[in-house]
Amino acid sequence: MKEKNIQDNANSVPLQGLGVNFPLGVRGGSPIKNITYDALVIGAGIAGGEAALNLANTGYKVLVVEKDLSVGGKMIMLSKVFPTLDCSACITTPKVSEISRHPNITIFTESEVNNIHRVSEVEFVATVRRRPRYVHVEDCTSCQLCEKACPVSVTDEYQYGLIGRKAAFIPFSICSPKAAAIDIENCTLCGACEKVCPTNCIDFTMQPEEMTLHVHTVIVATGFNMFDPKKMPRYGFGEYKNVITALQMERELAPTRPFNTILRPGDGKMPDKIAYVLCVGSRDASVGNPICSQICCMYSIKQAQLLMGALPMADVTIYYINIRSFGKGFEEFYQQAKGMGVNFVKGKIGRIKAKENGNLILRYEDINEGRLRESEHDMVVLANGVLPNDEVNNIFGKEKLKLDQFNFVGQTDMLASPARTSMEGVFVAGTATGPMDIPDSILSAGAASAEAISYLIQKTV
Amino acid sequence: MCLCGSKDNKMSKINPAFNKELEKFGSVNFNACYNCGNCTAVCSLSTEDNSFPREMVRLSALGLEDDIQASLKPWECYYCGECSTHCPQEANPGELMMSLRRYLTAKYDWTGLSGLLYKSLPVSLAAFVLTFVAVLFFANSVSYDLEKLLHFGHLFEGIAIGTIGLLILMPNVARMWYLTILKPGIKVPVSKYAKSIGELFVHMFTQKRALGCDDNQFRWFEHFILVIGYLSLLFTTVALNWFGTSSLFVVILGYVMSAIVFVVTVDFVGSRMKKKKEVSKHSQPSDIFFVVWLFFMGLSAFMVRLFIDLDILDSNKWMYIFHLTVLVQWALIIVPFGKWTHFLYRSFAMYFAKLKN
Repeated sequence: MKEKNIQDNANSVPLQGLGVNFPLGVRGGSPIKNITYDALVIGAGIAGGEAALNLANTGYKVLVVEKDLSVGGKMIMLSKVFPTLDCSACITTPKVSEISRHPNITIFTESEVNNIHRVSEVEFVATVRRRPRYVHVEDCTSCQLCEKACPVSVTDEYQYGLIGRKAAFIPFSICSPKAAAIDIENCTLCGACEKVCPTNCIDFTMQPEEMTLHVHTVIVATGFNMFDPKKMPRYGFGEYKNVITALQMERELAPTRPFNTILRPGDGKMPDKIAYVLCVGSRDASVGNPICSQICCMYSIKQAQLLMGALPMADVTIYYINIRSFGKGFEEFYQQAKGMGVNFVKGKIGRIKAKENGNLILRYEDINEGRLRESEHDMVVLANGVLPNDEVNNIFGKEKLKLDQFNFVGQTDMLASPARTSMEGVFVAGTATGPMDIPDSILSAGAASAEAISYLIQKTV
Repeated sequence: MCLCGSKDNKMSKINPAFNKELEKFGSVNFNACYNCGNCTAVCSLSTEDNSFPREMVRLSALGLEDDIQASLKPWECYYCGECSTHCPQEANPGELMMSLRRYLTAKYDWTGLSGLLYKSLPVSLAAFVLTFVAVLFFANSVSYDLEKLLHFGHLFEGIAIGTIGLLILMPNVARMWYLTILKPGIKVPVSKYAKSIGELFVHMFTQKRALGCDDNQFRWFEHFILVIGYLSLLFTTVALNWFGTSSLFVVILGYVMSAIVFVVTVDFVGSRMKKKKEVSKHSQPSDIFFVVWLFFMGLSAFMVRLFIDLDILDSNKWMYIFHLTVLVQWALIIVPFGKWTHFLYRSFAMYFAKLKN
C-alpha cells in the first residue's frame, strides 16, 4: 500500500521547508488529474488538522483543502482556551507547522471542494477549485514591503473588523503559509506591490485552477459559522460601536492583539464596566436556532477572567439564562470566576440602547427578584452562538450527505460510531457535527481519523 | 413575585392541570417558558415596580389561580405582541395574557355564562341562533308591523342597557374589585377612591396607556376613533332616537358615527382574518364575533336610516329585522358575556391599580 501511494504521488513535488507540497502544474495553471490520495480532509481547522495528522502519521497520503488563506481555523485566532487558560496560539501553531511540513500531507489553501462523487466502492473523485492568491507562496518571504506599498485600506476580517489592513496583505502574524495575498476585490491594480516585491512573487496573471483528484476516503471538518448579531437589531450590534462580538473580544485579548490593550471601539476608552450578553442567537427559536451552542458560557467566563487580569479595576457582569458548565473542570472554572468577582445576573437581555457618551443601557428582568431592571455599561460583548456551516450540503452530488434537523452533518450512529455519516467512506470531525468545544473537537477528529484508517485498511488492502 | 397566595402563610398548592383550563381560553404553548425574562425586558409597558408578562406565565404554569385572580396585570397589557415575537421558546406570552383576560372575564362574571361562551363555540353559535329565532318569532307575533318593530327596537335598547348594566355589569365589576382589592387584603382609604376616580374615566375614554406600547400609535388612534364612534352612535340611537328623529343634525350625526364604526372595523376584521400581526395570529371566535358584530351594527344601522330616508324601509322590512337581530345579539350576548366587557375591566383595572399604589 505504501508503495502504491508513493507511485500515486509521483508527480507531486514535496517542497519541504517551504511548508507546502506543490503538485506539478500549479504554476502553469493546467488542471491536475489522476493523482490519488488516501484521504481528503475538508477544512484545516483544529479538527481537520488533527485528523489529517493522525492519518499522515500512520503513513497515509492526505490532501487537506482549506477555503481560507491560512490553516488553523478559528482556534488560531483565539486568546486562551478554557478551562486551563492555556495560550490558544501556542497550542495551535506547533500543530499547524507540523501539518504544513508533514511529508504525507498536501495542503491547498484558498481552495474549495466543489464536487465529490463516488466512482467505485472505495474511490471518490473530487473537484477542487483554487482561487488565485496572486502571490507565489513558495517565493514570498513575507517581508511585508507590499503591505507598506499598497495604497488601499480596508477592514481587516482576520481581526473581525477591529482594525484595517491593506489590499496586499499577510492575513495575520501567525498564519500558515506565511505569505502575502492580494485582495483582488479591493485592489486598484496600481502595481505598487509588484514594484517593491524583492522576489517578484506577485503575479496578477494567476487564474483560478480546477483540479480533479482521486481519494479513497473523505473527512468532513468544515467547522461552524458564528451567528450574525445584526439579525437581532434590538441589541444594536453594527449600530452602536461599543457593542462587540465575543470573537472581537478574543482578538482584543489575544497575544497577537491589535491594540495591545483592551479598548472600546467607539472612542478608544478603556472600559471599566463590561457586560456579557449570553445566548445571542442560541437557544432562541425566534431567530431560528433553538439549540445551545455549548461554548458561549465557558468562553464568556474565560474572557471575564482574562479581563479581570487585563483591567484589574473593571467590573464584569455576565447576564445569563442558565450557566452550562458541564465539561471537565468547567464548574470549578465558573466558581473561580465568581471568586474573582465576576458578577453573574440571571436574566436575558431584552433590549440595548446607547447613550450619547457611548455607554449602553441594558434592559432585562432580574429573574431572582422578578423585577425589570436597567443597567449601564460602557462596553457590551455579545456571546453569539454557533451555527452550522451548510456549504458542505451539496458537494456530494446525487449521493447526498444527510444533515441532522439543525443542518449539522448527521451522525448515523452517534453513540457507537460518532464519526460515521450517511455515506460510506465519508467521516465527520469536530463542529461540523454540532457545537462543541476544542477538547471535544480534537477527540472527535481522533474518532474520525481512527474510523477512516480502519476503513482504509479494510477496503484498500 | 409573591407565590404565596393565601394570607395565612399557608403555601398555595400548585396545580399543573390549570394549563388545560387556560387552553380552553386560547392559551398557546406557555409551558415552554424557560424563564429568561426576555418578554418582560422587551415589553415597553413593563416597569421596575410592575413587571410582566413573565410573572403571569409563571403563575399560570404553576396554576396559582388565587394570585392570577388578584392580579390586574393582564389588563395592564395592551398586546403589542413584541413579547411573543421575541420569545426564544415561542411560548407566546402575549397570547397567554390575552387568554388570562378571557379567563378573568369569565371569573368576574357571576352568571358563569361568559366562561361557557368563551370555552364552547357550539354554545356561542346556539345562542346566536336562539336570539335570531326569538327576533323572528317576535316580528311574526306583531305581523311584521314596521311601526311596532321600530318602537320595540328603541324600547329594547333602553331596557337592555339598564338591565344588563344593573344586573350583570355592575355586579361583575364589584366582583373584580372583591377579587383584586378586598380578597388580597389591600387597605384603601375611602378618600382615595374619590381622589382616583378621574383615572377611571380618563382610561375609559382615551385608552391612553396603549400609547406606551411600541410602534402602536396608529392602532391606538384607530381604536380611539372606534370607541368614540361607537359611544356616539349608542347615544344618537338611544337618547336622540336617530331612527325616529326629524332633526337634520341628529340624522347626519348618526350617519357619520355609524359609518365610522363600520369603516374602522373593516380594518380590525381584516387583520383578524389575515393573522399577520402577532395580535391577531391566535384570534379566538369571541374576538372575531366582537369585531364582526360591531361591523354589522354600524353597517345595518346606517342602512336602516338610509332606507328610512329613501322611504323604502317599509318594502324592505328584512333590513330592520337584520338590524334588530344584530342589536339583540350584541346586547344580550356580546356586551354582557363577550369581549365588550374589556371596555369596563381595562378602565377599572387602571383605577384599581391607582388605588393599590
